[in-house]
Amino acid sequence: MNLARTLLRAGGIGLAILVLAPLALRAMLPENQALFWIGNIFARALIYGIIALSLTFLATYGGFVSLAQMMVAGVAGYVLAITVQGAVPVIIGGFGYPVAILLALGAAVLAGLAVGAISARTNDIYLLMITLALAVGFYRFVETNIDWFNGYEGIRNVLGPDLLGRKFRDPILFYAIASATALSLYLGVIFLVRTPFGLALQGIRDNPRRVSALGYNVMLHRIVAFGIAGFIAGCGGVLATIYNIGISPGSIGLGATMNLLIISVIGGLGHPIGAFIGALLFAIFDTFAASIYDRDRFNTLIGAVFLSIVLISPDGALGMVRRLREGFARKPRAGAPPL
Amino acid sequence: MGNALELQDVGRRFGALHAVKGVSLKVPPGQRHAILGPNGAGKTTLFNLVCGDFPPTSGQIIAFGEDLTRRPALHRARIGIGRTYQTSLLFTGLSVLDNLLVAIRGARKGRFSMLPSGAGGEDVTRARELAERVRLAHRADAEVATLSHGQRRQLELGMALACQPRLLMLDEPAAGLSPAERPELNQMLKDLPRDITLILIEHDMDVALPISDMVTVMKDGEIVVQETPDKITSNPVVNRIYLGQGHG
Repeated sequence: MNLARTLLRAGGIGLAILVLAPLALRAMLPENQALFWIGNIFARALIYGIIALSLTFLATYGGFVSLAQMMVAGVAGYVLAITVQGAVPVIIGGFGYPVAILLALGAAVLAGLAVGAISARTNDIYLLMITLALAVGFYRFVETNIDWFNGYEGIRNVLGPDLLGRKFRDPILFYAIASATALSLYLGVIFLVRTPFGLALQGIRDNPRRVSALGYNVMLHRIVAFGIAGFIAGCGGVLATIYNIGISPGSIGLGATMNLLIISVIGGLGHPIGAFIGALLFAIFDTFAASIYDRDRFNTLIGAVFLSIVLISPDGALGMVRRLREGFARKPRAGAPPL
Repeated sequence: MGNALELQDVGRRFGALHAVKGVSLKVPPGQRHAILGPNGAGKTTLFNLVCGDFPPTSGQIIAFGEDLTRRPALHRARIGIGRTYQTSLLFTGLSVLDNLLVAIRGARKGRFSMLPSGAGGEDVTRARELAERVRLAHRADAEVATLSHGQRRQLELGMALACQPRLLMLDEPAAGLSPAERPELNQMLKDLPRDITLILIEHDMDVALPISDMVTVMKDGEIVVQETPDKITSNPVVNRIYLGQGHG
């Protein structure tokens, strides 16, 4: 019953924020500005947040910090772009969006399982290095392969299907789909970590030797966790590809990989919601860097934010909020007798 | 019926160090068997070999008639071998109940289940019973990181019992316990049903001897004496190498 209560509470709060945010924006701002916030900031934050959720899931509950999650999202994006009808240039094409999206998600799960299998015996810095190597290797592979990935230019014109008589990229429809996906995946993670699989995964995080001595196949558990993270990253990859009307190596390169890590750390790796908090902060800075200082200085700005958060609160914005809350809770009320 | 555990000339080298040398041992079902010896005698290495943490460099390990020499650690739990560790290896980020749930599910099917078992589910009921059995019912929902050392040792025992072991191996269960906590542990060990074969490493004679049927003493990786508890304290070899009396 505790799980049902937790899911209802988390789902209720999440749904309320996701529905109320655009309504509040539309009430407060002129329509074009409201649509700009919904389409350019919130929708992008949800996409980044979903991909970061795959990293947060692995890091929080398995103790595996994988730098290959943007690569896995890229695998989904490329499979969608390669297989779907209408993409330019035509590489395979011919498939409608439902089939192409299923293929993309299947490929992301396989890519996640492969990353898990390759890195199954590594931990800590070695896991970071091997997953970074996979990410950079995949980036170089797609960048240099013209026949399958159209090299540096990538694949364009992935517009998404029409739904309810509206274009998929309509800001409100896209936001609704992205938020429904994000909420489902977030609740899915909260649900999963209370199941036998999820508890064993947390056991592996705390003590893999003991988990093995209890009868679990630790390596297989890890690989399956990477497969699940692959599915989450794949959902983000599909949405990102449609949002960007295509995919190119630049969107999955070293910069994008590092951005994902920054998002996760800024938000906080202690809870899945941290992925979305970090993504929102990142999207805001990314959008308003030019207004704050200079567009070309975005990396300096986000770097400064990153360093500040890591120095002030190693567990990210989420940890900062928790500490503030605890601080307020401890503060005696006015008029209370001294201890 | 065969032995619960049989070691045939088991040895283990770590480079130049010969940690366990040709150990042969038979433990019949239901026996309480204590393994004593000074630090560095190879007791914990022997435990780790039996539990599959690493394979022996020589010899054979047979439990309940099955050759386990090259089988992975996870297989031991599945055939009913439970163990505790010298320093507690618990899941500190989880609650007491969740630790027990992980332990209960490890030895049977459904380990990969992605469906939760509800509060009234069979596993949860068993976990609560186990918490009661190791006297942790009042801390069942507490995070393990908040437990005292003695409570962690109790949880270690609960987790080892969770896989319904036929052979239970306890590595210094009284290590670090205060004198006030030891009688409680003694009682828990005495309360274990007789169908569980028990092997324990223990430095504290007051814990080991009253519950043991047989005592093996090791030194420098070898078995030097095997006797019943009433004879072990008067054995001159044991006095010399373990109790530090009667040099020469």
